[in-house]
Order: sequence, then structure tokens, then C-alpha cells
Amino acid sequence: MLPYPVRVAVWIIVYLLFILGPLFALLVGALPPARDFWTEFSVALGYAGLAMMSLQFGLTARFRYVTNPWGEDIIYHFHRQISLIAVGLVVAHPLILFAVRPELLALLNSIQAPWRARFAAMSTYSLIALVVMSLWRVKLNIRYETWHLTHILLAIIAVTAGIAHMIGWGFYLVYPWKRALWIGLTIFWIGLLLYIRIIKPLFQLRRPYRVSEVREERGDTWTLVMQPDGHPGFRFTPGQFGWLTVWGSPFKITGHPFSFSSSAAVTDGRVDMTIRNLGDLTSEIHKVPVGKRVYLDGPYGAFTIGNPADMHVLIAGGVGITPMMSMLRTLADHGDKRPVILLYGSRDWESITFREELEALKERLNLTIIHVLSNPPAGWTGEQGRIDAEVFRRHLPPPYADHEYFICGPNVMMDSIEKALGELHVPMSKYHSERYSFV
Amino acid sequence: MRRLFANRVALATGLIVILMSVLFALSRVAG
Repeated sequence: MLPYPVRVAVWIIVYLLFILGPLFALLVGALPPARDFWTEFSVALGYAGLAMMSLQFGLTARFRYVTNPWGEDIIYHFHRQISLIAVGLVVAHPLILFAVRPELLALLNSIQAPWRARFAAMSTYSLIALVVMSLWRVKLNIRYETWHLTHILLAIIAVTAGIAHMIGWGFYLVYPWKRALWIGLTIFWIGLLLYIRIIKPLFQLRRPYRVSEVREERGDTWTLVMQPDGHPGFRFTPGQFGWLTVWGSPFKITGHPFSFSSSAAVTDGRVDMTIRNLGDLTSEIHKVPVGKRVYLDGPYGAFTIGNPADMHVLIAGGVGITPMMSMLRTLADHGDKRPVILLYGSRDWESITFREELEALKERLNLTIIHVLSNPPAGWTGEQGRIDAEVFRRHLPPPYADHEYFICGPNVMMDSIEKALGELHVPMSKYHSERYSFV
Repeated sequence: MRRLFANRVALATGLIVILMSVLFALSRVAG
């Protein structure tokens, strides 16, 4: 396999090719007379912006070979950041045109404007609505499922109206092959969405799981034990996650990502997910009846312990312990005796999920556990407060850059840990993290 | 840190696309 920086560079080049390839293909062959620089520049921005918006369908299509070099959470983060740039380019397109050719402002009158202008307005307004709803979903009090469905519909409208505007204007798309290229790419990207929302759910429908146990854990947390129903299930590597649909069919947009907490060494396809009550869909998990049919889409994620290292340092905050639990159970099942240090941040002693089992795992692993409590009981002599660079210095043997770090927890904790590792000069390639709140 | 890196990749991608759009326009005007 290619080294990490090379894989990252290859993906950036591929990404740029999908945007710039169709753009510069417009310049091939005989062309109509050029207009002024600003008009041509604004047109290029419009084409490039639309290509970037179309590519968003590919970024979120859950292809493992796309997401693995980065991690699913980073792909979604990039999806959000690049969408702001793409919308900026699309909006800049008419603004520049209005500035250099004020007579075009008349096209804003959608009643009298030709269809090609109406499509442009439809595309731009959809994009703006899409961004506003995504940035301020919580403030606007929009339910996640409502937002998700609207997000998909607005994205389809924005891209198809955008391509209709280009075809309608036709300046650069006179040749049929150029039209075919742009329409074909658009159909391909939207087709990926249909693949995720229709084809994949069809497969999942034929490969359901049954809940065989609902187990209460410490810290208002529940473990769902699921068995494949009529099929062998899938194999995963510890640290990966799946999209779980508990209520309704896999066609409903109600799937949520949860890490697997069971050992990856099991051979009967059993999968555990350990889920903390965070007030949303997760508050219903304890009500799931044994025997209920559920659907799993997975496995996903690059947060795995495949890398050889002298020492694994696992850093968990709260329910971020779930992927770590899968790693520890798997290492124990494999009889792996490499040293593992678990730094585990919890609110208090009673709410430490898997507390007893972690103690028991010490017998089977070369495992050191350091509990860090934000609300310690009276007489607590262990670590308290937050996991920071000082905690690392007290418990990890130097040189710090020799270890492999795995981090999972709330965003605030992840940010401070990444900062602390930076202070210890741990290179980015040595730490692996997956944020569980990436949607 | 990884998100900061992703932010930089996004920003660099945007800048490259803008520069290429300038190149597109220049090639048209000059051609």
C-alpha cells in the first residue's frame, strides 16, 4: 500500500481532475468569440462551482477506498468546508456578471426572465438554503431527519437546475460531446446518491439483523447485541462503525453511525453496538425489544489498529470507549501481548462504562488503565480533570512519537488532546481519531 | 489537527480552482 502522504496527495489530484477536467474540456475544439476577461472568469467559476457541488455526492457516498485514507469524520468535515467554497464560487458567478454587465440584472425578474435564467436562480437559491440549513440546523430547530431529507432534495435541485442553466445558455456546450460529458457526470454523481439511498438499502433489506440482547451498562448506556438473520453477516476491524437503522426500513433516513464494541474475532457475525443516552434517538435504545429486526450498513471507518507499533495508546472520553472496547476485546482474543495504555476520561467513578470488564481484561492483556475523572469521589487519588499533555507526561514513556495514538470522544476533548499531542511533537501520522458527532 | 489539515486542503483546493478559472479566462481572452 502507498504511504499515507502519497495516498492523500493522489486523492487531492483525483478530486481536482474531476473539477478541472470537465472545465478545460470546454476549451477543446472550435469556440465562439471570447468575451471580456471578467465574463469568462465568472463563467469558469460557475462551471467549477457546479462541478464541486456535484462531487459532494461522491464524497458522501460512503465508498471505503475514498474515506479510508482520511477517516469518515474528516470526509464529512471536508464536505462541509468545501461546500462553502463551492457555493461562494457559484454565487460569485452572477455577481461578477451583474457588475460588468448591469443589463443582466433584468434576469432577476423570474416572471419575465427566460427559463435558463430561472434555472440559475433556482440553483443558486437552493444552494443558499442548503448552506443556511446546514450551518444553523440546531438554531433553526430543524429535526435531523427533516434536515437530512431536505438537504438531499435541495442538493439534487441545485445541481440539476445548474446543469439545465448551462445547457439552456449553451455558450460552451454547443458540441454534443461536451453536453454529454457534463450531463453524464451529473447523472453519475446523482446516481451515487440513488445507489446509497435505494440500491444499498435493497441489499440491506435482504440482510437484516435480529437484536438478541439489550444490555444495560454503566453511565446511562446500553449495548445492543445483534445477530445476522439468514446470512453470514460481515467482518469488521476493531474501531470501525456502522449505520444502524432501528425503527423502520433501511430506506428511511433514520440511520445513525455507531461504533462496534464487540470483538472482531467472533466468527458467527455477531455485532455489538454500545450506545449512550444522549437525548435524541439514543434515548429509545433501551426500549428496543429482543428479537426486533434492525438494519446495519457497514463496516466503515479508518480508525483501526492495523498499524504495527511497539505500544498502542488508547484515549477515550465517555462513550468514546466503544471502539476502544472492540480493540481491546479483539487484542485479547488474539492473545496479543503488546503493551496497551488506556487513558479513559469519565464524569465519575460510577458512570465508567465497561469498568469491571476493563479490569478483567488486564488479566488477558498487557494493559494499563488510567481513569481520569472530572467529578471524582472523596478520597480519589487518581487523575482528575481533563486528559492533557501533563497526564501524558506522567503516564507515557518517552519518546512519545514512537507510540500509536487512538482517540475517540466528544469534540471538545478531541480538540484538546490533538493540541496536547502537538505539544509533545507527535506527528499527525501517529494518531488516529474518529469523531462520532460528524453528522 | 486533522480537521485543521482538512480545512487547509479545502482552502488550497478552492484557491487552485480560482487560479485555474483565471487561467481559463486568460486563455480565452488571449486566444
